[in-house]
Amino acid sequence: MKDNIVITGIGVVSSIGIGKDAFWQALEEGKSGVKPVTLFDTSKLRVKMGTEISDFKPEEILGSKGLRNLDRATKLLLCAGKLALDDAGLEINPEDAGRAGISVGTTVGSLWSISEFDKSALRDGPHFVNPAEFPNTVINSPPSQLAIRLKSKGPCATISSGFTSSLDAVKYGIDLIRNKRAQIVLAGGVEEFCEQTYLGFYKVNLLAGVKGPELSCPFDKRRNGVIFGEGSAVLVLESQESAQKRGARIYARILGYGTSFYPYAINKYEPQGKGLKKAMKFALEDAGLSAENIDYICAAANSTEEADLIETEVIKEVFAKYAKTILVSSTKSMLGETFSAAGALAVAATIGAINKDFIPPTINYAQKDPACDLNYVPNKSSKEKINKAAVNAFGPNGSNSCLVVSKI
Amino acid sequence: MGSINTVENEIKELIAQILEVGSEKITPDAKFVEDLGMDSMMALEIVAAIEKKYKITIPEENLMKLASLGDVIAVTEQFLGKK
Repeated sequence: MKDNIVITGIGVVSSIGIGKDAFWQALEEGKSGVKPVTLFDTSKLRVKMGTEISDFKPEEILGSKGLRNLDRATKLLLCAGKLALDDAGLEINPEDAGRAGISVGTTVGSLWSISEFDKSALRDGPHFVNPAEFPNTVINSPPSQLAIRLKSKGPCATISSGFTSSLDAVKYGIDLIRNKRAQIVLAGGVEEFCEQTYLGFYKVNLLAGVKGPELSCPFDKRRNGVIFGEGSAVLVLESQESAQKRGARIYARILGYGTSFYPYAINKYEPQGKGLKKAMKFALEDAGLSAENIDYICAAANSTEEADLIETEVIKEVFAKYAKTILVSSTKSMLGETFSAAGALAVAATIGAINKDFIPPTINYAQKDPACDLNYVPNKSSKEKINKAAVNAFGPNGSNSCLVVSKI
Repeated sequence: MGSINTVENEIKELIAQILEVGSEKITPDAKFVEDLGMDSMMALEIVAAIEKKYKITIPEENLMKLASLGDVIAVTEQFLGKK
């Protein structure tokens, strides 16, 4: 009999709010995190916008010591991790350190650090690089630094599966607990806003503002690309038994997960969404649910022409007659495309929806696309009591995942 | 290259920044590990910063000798003198 896994702590660092309460409030208000880029120069580019976290002061959450050599991705994750642990009312003591695990999704978290380290070698000569900056150049640096900071000694994993990284990291965390390799797991994702990734997305024509208006407007007729962003969300996972034993507040239960890797072509969405369809069906099966049981879908739609249409079509196929009444919205309309962090941020948002009885809106919705005709909760959040929700993540490189959560 | 006093003050400030302690705590005899909380990464960083600042190379076998500010100044002056 599988352990029921629940979520007992949430930490969020996002462009619309830092901390779970600010984040949930911003979602309910339909606040946009989109603003002109300040972290680097965009004067030579045709695009200027992003969802940077402009008021990020890690020392306010972490204290001022030990942050000097950590890169932005690491600091984002450390803050989300600390907020999550505090929210769960937990401390990691030496006696239970071996039972605390970490599982984090990130894909390009170290790109900036690699570039800076390399620049310093080129500029000053390889002998004069700063050894303290070297640890930032590996992709597993953020979760490892989190483990070092929290002094946890349980399994520490980095999951790098592109757009589905943080949902996949949550699943890995669930499995760690069910396999008795950890009692609690800090599971989530992080992605930082950096010039290298921004340029990369720009060069592969994924950013909005070149073929159309520079907006994050999922499902809207004007959609033409993503607004790139950053953020981190960490969830504290444990078994329901463990949570109840220590009298923890339980936010939600994870009912099921499904994933399917369906390769098509590099940087191109598979047009029929076969992988996403499988992932959603597997997730429902794993949760022991049928389509009619789901009240809300937190969509992965990211304002690209293809993804939003594919997700709409898949929802219609999987949910059939229920597709027109189910509530669907994309938090990426507010948060932008945060890549590996998107799944964890979406789960954090969905738990807010479940606990606070509201559906986050799809903002910037002004022009209807006849092919996208579901109920996207346009522009204003909707007061609703939701019991069960599905969270999607998928990308143009083959990965597709879905997580089903419910009220406890 | 400044006077020896300047070099001593520069090194003290550099170490203070890396160890994240007030420079007044970095007395010539205060032990980096036992008294000032230095870990192995900070040790490497201190050596790398001094090498970069003074354009000298401090061979690895000297790292063991760098237990306090006094030691660091002595080794730095030794290699500055060799330039």
